[in-house]
Amino acid sequence: MHPLYRKLLRDLGRMKGQMAAIAIVMACGLGVMIMARSMVRSLQQARGSYFASHHFGDLFCDLKRAPNAVRARLEALPGIATVETRVRGAVRLDLPGMSEPADGLVYSLPEDRPQRLNLLFIRRGRLPEPGRPDEIVVGEAFAKAHGLEPGHTLKMTLYGAQETMRIVGIVLSPDFIFETRPGEAMPDPQRFGIFWMNERKLATALNLKGAFNNIVADLAPGANPKAVLAEIDRLLEPYGGRIAYDRTDHPSTRKLDDDLRVLSQYAIAFPLLFLSVAAFMSSAALTRLIRLQREQIAQLKAFGYSNGAVGWHYLQYALVLVITGGAGGIALGYWLGLWVTEIYRKFFFFPVLGFHFDGWSLLIGLAAAVGTSFVGVISAAREAMRLPPAEAMRPEPPAEFRPSILERAGLGRFTSPVVLMAVRNLERKPWQAFFTMLGLALATAIPIIPGVMRNGIDHVMIFQWGHAQRQDTTLTLIEPDDARPALSAFTHLPGVITAEPFRVVPARLRNGHRERRVSIMGLPQGNRLLRVLDERNRPVAMPLEGLLLSAKLAEVLGLAPGDPVRVEVQEGRRPLLETTVAGTVTDYAGTSAYMELDALRRLLREGETLSGAHLAVDPAKREAFLQEIKAVSRIGAATFTRAAQESFRRTTGEMIGIIQTFYFTFAVVVAFGVVYNGARIALSERSRDLATLRVIGFSPREVATVLILELGFLTVLALAPGLWIGSRLAAALVATTSTETVRMPYIFDLPTALTSVLVILVSSFFSFAVVSRRIHDLDLLSVLKARD
Amino acid sequence: MSPLFRVQGITKIYVSGEAEIRALNGVDLDLFAGELVVLLGASGSGKSTLLNILGGLDVPTDGRLFFRDEELTDADEAQLTRFRRERVGFVFQFYNLIPSLSAKENVELITELADDPMTPQEALERVDLGDRMNHFPSQLSGGQQQRVAIARAIAKRPEVLLCDEPTGALDVRTGIRVLETIEAVNRQLGTLAVIITHNASIAEMADRVIHLSDGKIAGITRNATRRDVASLNW
Repeated sequence: MHPLYRKLLRDLGRMKGQMAAIAIVMACGLGVMIMARSMVRSLQQARGSYFASHHFGDLFCDLKRAPNAVRARLEALPGIATVETRVRGAVRLDLPGMSEPADGLVYSLPEDRPQRLNLLFIRRGRLPEPGRPDEIVVGEAFAKAHGLEPGHTLKMTLYGAQETMRIVGIVLSPDFIFETRPGEAMPDPQRFGIFWMNERKLATALNLKGAFNNIVADLAPGANPKAVLAEIDRLLEPYGGRIAYDRTDHPSTRKLDDDLRVLSQYAIAFPLLFLSVAAFMSSAALTRLIRLQREQIAQLKAFGYSNGAVGWHYLQYALVLVITGGAGGIALGYWLGLWVTEIYRKFFFFPVLGFHFDGWSLLIGLAAAVGTSFVGVISAAREAMRLPPAEAMRPEPPAEFRPSILERAGLGRFTSPVVLMAVRNLERKPWQAFFTMLGLALATAIPIIPGVMRNGIDHVMIFQWGHAQRQDTTLTLIEPDDARPALSAFTHLPGVITAEPFRVVPARLRNGHRERRVSIMGLPQGNRLLRVLDERNRPVAMPLEGLLLSAKLAEVLGLAPGDPVRVEVQEGRRPLLETTVAGTVTDYAGTSAYMELDALRRLLREGETLSGAHLAVDPAKREAFLQEIKAVSRIGAATFTRAAQESFRRTTGEMIGIIQTFYFTFAVVVAFGVVYNGARIALSERSRDLATLRVIGFSPREVATVLILELGFLTVLALAPGLWIGSRLAAALVATTSTETVRMPYIFDLPTALTSVLVILVSSFFSFAVVSRRIHDLDLLSVLKARD
Repeated sequence: MSPLFRVQGITKIYVSGEAEIRALNGVDLDLFAGELVVLLGASGSGKSTLLNILGGLDVPTDGRLFFRDEELTDADEAQLTRFRRERVGFVFQFYNLIPSLSAKENVELITELADDPMTPQEALERVDLGDRMNHFPSQLSGGQQQRVAIARAIAKRPEVLLCDEPTGALDVRTGIRVLETIEAVNRQLGTLAVIITHNASIAEMADRVIHLSDGKIAGITRNATRRDVASLNW
């Protein structure tokens, strides 16, 4: 082996702790980037091939009822290639072992024609055979949650009629990559499922014989989707059509698009942060190494090594960092990717979701790592190349010092020499001190991110289930009904303490060219169960006129309180209304609009109607209540607040908990790496001074104090800017991950700040302890002979 | 008069890989308060090893070492640190001043540790640097830096001053100035001064000259009179 390689290996062996710290920080950044980019690629690929192979439609529309003859008219519309008409209805399920009823959606499968769009993927079993009314297939999420398999039977209530169905298959549908109840942001596979059965039977059960209430259409090549959507709306209006929408508005794509956007942002933000820290660290460590090896550089040149050979030798240190950090990053990214893929498999249902390693991310990552470490070493290597051998042979000129700011301020007399050493050292190399401090500040900043995330989730849970949703149960009728008898029936259910009616209608809100499809929820004044709240958890009273909008909805529509807004109701007579935004409210999932119940009824030009009611139920009579509602055929869906909360805690909460733990681990790694690196550099720069102090009678502890004073001073100085940087980073992260499907508030509180400070202080403590141990091992004897 | 140091059969063996280097091989020696002793020997003769052991920087492999009645042979790290702190002043070939501290502050490092120190001013005046107190090492010549180092060494009023090639990095004129300072300290304060050198001319300023060779004492010469430092030349 060439002696220079041997020198490289031995130098690296001596610096292994420091090099490992830098490589780990680099690996964390690269790992997250590789994971995030690969996940984006894997998800896009899985979705792309799924949609293509299973003919996922381009346009979608729900309607009340249209005779099957309308299908031909739809197919004849210009711009449409294929139309699939379906029957869709709500179903309630009675599951053994579950006291609460579950509910779901059931779709029809054509019997008299081949299915052409939104084909099902059969995980196990088969599709129902034409002419077999009792056969059904179940969506995989629900089947998994209940251990359902082909051959099992399922008791369900379809539009009031009790049916016993035989499961023949477990399936996936491109309609439901993310299996949630329409309008809900979080999956609840325990209580919500998707089912498919033969058309004739389902249509008969839903009173839709010879008709359909849902369409999927495929665009002809070159067609203008906007024009086709308008045509569909026009054609289906007499049949109670709601607004047709395209893929961008489809829940299957919407939620995933949101996630992909968040992942893409992670792929940039995290590596940027971690690689910057790694650049600071490697620059500091390698510059120091080259300064220490001044004489060796001179000797190499004296022996005849060219400037290029010397420069290359020192760049190899950076190369080793790239190789170790890069390899670690690839391994970490791969492992993280597999792990995150597993998490995604729990929430997103694809026939195949493999982890596809993104080759580009590897290249970009390596380029970034090369850039990072070479930026760190290049100026020092250039300095080594430029050094004339004769000059390099001489020791570096003695460091020049001058009175520090303390003395200039007249405080010198009160300051011990040990403190003066620290202050003057910092003042002499302000840039080095600045960059060390910046590294420490970034290390302080990173733990704030998981802290703010945790606060956000905690707040959402308390907000959602402590303040906003105070009902025990929400019962929704199959169809809106006369309020008085329905409410009276609800109130007379066993254990019901209070029942508050609500009315929900689908509508489109417009402000100029901006529009969103939403559900308008009508709530009575003085509502006490489901409440709408402002950002400080205070209930907002239902205004007598105008709409309350989620702050996010107001934002995407470009609306502020007092602005006019156009409401196009998509039910009944489809009235149009020009009203105003009465105010904005806070919510963290989906986008909603609220109106006072009577105002909504007036808008709909209907009498006292309701879609359902929010109920407070006496816990002691809960079982009787549950038994009773199972028998009420008009109830389409029953949701239970506590169950939803539990499901959220178990799925989303747990996932975010894991991610948060992960970030926290990263934060601790970075904090320790930065502090340890700083301490090791200070130790090597000071070893001569420190050994002198030891020789003249300072104890190891006193010597360590000298070193720790300086680093401790920088650490303390870094805390405030670190907290500030962290709060800005966390705010940016919260802002970028706040989508129309899910959001969380930005809450930076004292415990978060204290945790972050504690992480840095504990990391500092351990780094100082490691360095202090090295002070014990300082070679005192060599000091007597060594030159400066 | 009882000796300050009693060195009895001291042997120091360094093991490096499979090789054993016998740096000191059964050295017996007494050193007395107020003496000025020069350890003379070629490179590798063991003089630095002996100085390091006397100064509590190293411990012997075999033999016994006493400072007054205190045995240093088996002292632990803390005892050796206390010994250096209370009894010994060191002067190094390359001064080893802390560059970020002025002359006065370098001395203060010691005066803050010691029980009954001189003031930094007094220590620096003793080495004729009373007017350079606030200069930083980079603003001082080599000789001046070495005199600051001597001031730092004597400020605690040590009983022994150990000087390892104190003129090694200096020209003759400056070197003599430094030796004069050491001699004055020895004379005025009664400090035992031990100077390591390979420069035979310096031996003439000593009370006793101990010749070391191959880790053993090759001979001890006693000068009838100490030669005036100013008249030395090399």
